[in-house]
Amino acid sequence: MSSEGQTPDLSGDRGFRSVRESAYKYALAGCAVLSVLTTVSIIAVLVLDASQFFAEYPILEFLTGTEFSPNLEPVSFGVLPLILGTLLITFGAALIALPIGVLTAIYLSEYASKRTRSVLKPMLEVLAGVPTVVYGYFAIVYITPALNAAIGVLNGALGTEISRLGLFNGLSASVVVGIMIIPMVSSISEDAMNSVPDSLRQAGYGLGATKFNVSVTIVVPAAVSGIASSFILAISRAIGETMAVVLAAGSQPPDIPPVQQAFGVPYVAPTDILSLFTESSATMTVAMIDIASGDISGGSTAYKSLFAIGLTLFVITLAMNVVSDLVARRYREEYE
Amino acid sequence: MATKAPTQTEFGEVSRIKGIVFKYVSFVASIVGILALGVLLAYVFWDALGLESAGTGWYLAYTGTLLVPLLAFFAYARTRPEVVAGAFELFSLTLAGVMLTVASVIILSIIASPAVWFAYFLTVVGPLLALFVYGQYEREATWVGLAMLLTLVAGPVVGTLGLGILTTLGSLLGSPGVYFLSLVIPGAALAAFLAAERFDASRRLSLGIGVALPALAVVAVPLVDTVPAISRSVWLIALVMLGLPVGYAVANTARTRERRSAFALPVIAVAGFLAGGAIVDAIGATKPSPWLDWQYLTSSPSISNAAEAGLYPAIIGSIFLIVLVSVFTFVFGVGAAIYLEEYAPDNGVLGTATRIINVNISNLAGVPSVVYGLLGLGIFVNIEAQLGPLTYGGFGVGTVFTAALTLSLLILPIVIISAQEAIRSVPSSLRQASYGMGATRWQTIRNVVLPRSLPGILTGTILALGRAIGETAPLIMIGAATTKFSPPAGLFSKLTAMPMQIYAWAFLPGEDFRYGVVAAGVVTLLIVMLTMNSVAILVRNKYQQEAN
Repeated sequence: MSSEGQTPDLSGDRGFRSVRESAYKYALAGCAVLSVLTTVSIIAVLVLDASQFFAEYPILEFLTGTEFSPNLEPVSFGVLPLILGTLLITFGAALIALPIGVLTAIYLSEYASKRTRSVLKPMLEVLAGVPTVVYGYFAIVYITPALNAAIGVLNGALGTEISRLGLFNGLSASVVVGIMIIPMVSSISEDAMNSVPDSLRQAGYGLGATKFNVSVTIVVPAAVSGIASSFILAISRAIGETMAVVLAAGSQPPDIPPVQQAFGVPYVAPTDILSLFTESSATMTVAMIDIASGDISGGSTAYKSLFAIGLTLFVITLAMNVVSDLVARRYREEYE
Repeated sequence: MATKAPTQTEFGEVSRIKGIVFKYVSFVASIVGILALGVLLAYVFWDALGLESAGTGWYLAYTGTLLVPLLAFFAYARTRPEVVAGAFELFSLTLAGVMLTVASVIILSIIASPAVWFAYFLTVVGPLLALFVYGQYEREATWVGLAMLLTLVAGPVVGTLGLGILTTLGSLLGSPGVYFLSLVIPGAALAAFLAAERFDASRRLSLGIGVALPALAVVAVPLVDTVPAISRSVWLIALVMLGLPVGYAVANTARTRERRSAFALPVIAVAGFLAGGAIVDAIGATKPSPWLDWQYLTSSPSISNAAEAGLYPAIIGSIFLIVLVSVFTFVFGVGAAIYLEEYAPDNGVLGTATRIINVNISNLAGVPSVVYGLLGLGIFVNIEAQLGPLTYGGFGVGTVFTAALTLSLLILPIVIISAQEAIRSVPSSLRQASYGMGATRWQTIRNVVLPRSLPGILTGTILALGRAIGETAPLIMIGAATTKFSPPAGLFSKLTAMPMQIYAWAFLPGEDFRYGVVAAGVVTLLIVMLTMNSVAILVRNKYQQEAN
């Protein structure tokens, strides 16, 4: 404090005291710098090793290649199948988590009593706290058989011919990743809805709106920036999710579906995309785990490709986190 | 409303149905995830405990003696928050005490032998405790903090140099003697202190508690000797590590009149268990054959024989990790949080730097864990760096030290963010008052800010440690072993951890592994996490009560 100089010094150990004060200050500053060092070394490690990989394997082929087979000769490191796998699982998870998360947030902030909220909120947090390897185990051991049984019932009842799920499949991975990112959507969205001032709600009631109208047409639009940022964060988490997908989705990257032509317009048949969910659908994270459990002694091209994939993953998730932050800031409705 | 055509809406008409349907849809949405997880957890517990094989008589007996009384207790406690709080405290502190005992037995007598522990107790832990106690009573002694730091640095060196002499001394005492001196005596002092400070016991009573604990430790030895499963060392460790938390919970519950009926919970649990067991034996009902049993916790893993498979090396590995990670992250996380909240300038060029650091930390918290694994691989494993005369070659593939450092970096941002929030919640009027009395900034932090924010910091740290104990991906990236048949011997030997072992087993096709061995591993991991989380919640609740 600057006022310290004016206080009369009665203790007589001023020299020792000021040395001690600055010693503590610099020791603590050192701790804070550690976080900056972490970021710097993440970027340095990823960029340095990835550039070694790109010296051996052209960056264009990495980004546009449609084949990923690091172990079979001839090796190829096209990242597109992995990105397709990531997109599939993330899309499936988002389909589950985003609507459920927003409805949960509306219920918690608008409808639930204080007591209900105090019970539900910690229980929702548990969903994000269960280790992801446990979710992966649930997916292969309980969820895939359950989904297969459901498909069997569906086929019997409707006469459709949906193919059974493989031992490793994208659908069960999507389900568990979806469950684990629900709290991310619900807690951030609920915070945004809670910060909508009550005067807006009262104005709505004053105009004769029902609680449903107030929730859907006043609170949700007013909190839309928070909801959007929660969506982006949750999707970013799903993209980076590793162990649940490693166990549930298997290590085979999905085949890129053929592009068909109809009246000169290229398209991909929706059934082709849906059928990808029934098969193994490795993501970027799965490919990294797969390579790392094979060989991490360093030197091989496959080892270096780890860092190239890691860099891609890091850039995607970092960009999404930054965008989410910007959305929350830029489009926040100011009320006060 | 029912008389009108549903498609026609007129001015001013509102639909109640739509609102009611929406309310229930959103309610169902908010519990669907919880229900799904609940069903999955029920399945895995069912499999791990082998409940399928139990006979009807077993179920009926335990429903009658345990389940029904427990449900009745919950129904009674539902409207009495004090009873719930008391029961929760008893439950979580007992669970935490058991975990602490197991961890201490493993750390003190298996990882480090009693003699080695004694050497470091004499040079590091003992002086630290003595300095801390002295600093609490003699507030004038400003050198205590620095002396503690110095002990922390110099103590291990002295201990290592004098290891030969000190271990001889330790082995002369014998391991029970070592634990008596290093655990029971400090534990008795702590109990007396708590009795005097927390529960306002009279001087005589707290002294009596301080004397009674060592006396009990010695007097009960003949009794303990009759039980072959419990050695004298285990008895002494358990007395301190389990006895103190349970004693605290009991004293705290007995103190408040409204809370006393919370004692019904342990009584129901123990009596129900014994009565259920007696009935099952009497009628000869089939008992379940659980996968999760003593053999499972103490055997090496197996990939061929499910009946002999165990989790022992993985449990030891996880304990190693949790101890190291908690030391690293607590020191650096709290240090960084104090700097950012109390010292860092918030305007000018340096203010921009502070803001960048804050944004950086929140972005680090969003980096996928597998990328942290790559970071560990890059800077702790595959590295060759020449720093003058020193060559830094990392800490080895998949060693305990590498894994602990990697996991520490992973949870550090979370610890920093929660510690920052806890520090920020200390009212600035308290700081001003401290400065007004002539305290320096560090004195203010040490005497005002840290004591007030410590519960919040602890809650955040424990929750983050819970995340670290369940992480798998970074461990795979740094080359930790998936299956290892012996526990790690030191900081630089290879380790496996509980989630790694689950990952390794989960791919095995055998039914016994799928629905038995892995399920038992999952349940063990979940119980450890449940304990950590409930301790964190307990600390937070206590803090909120005291703040009000």
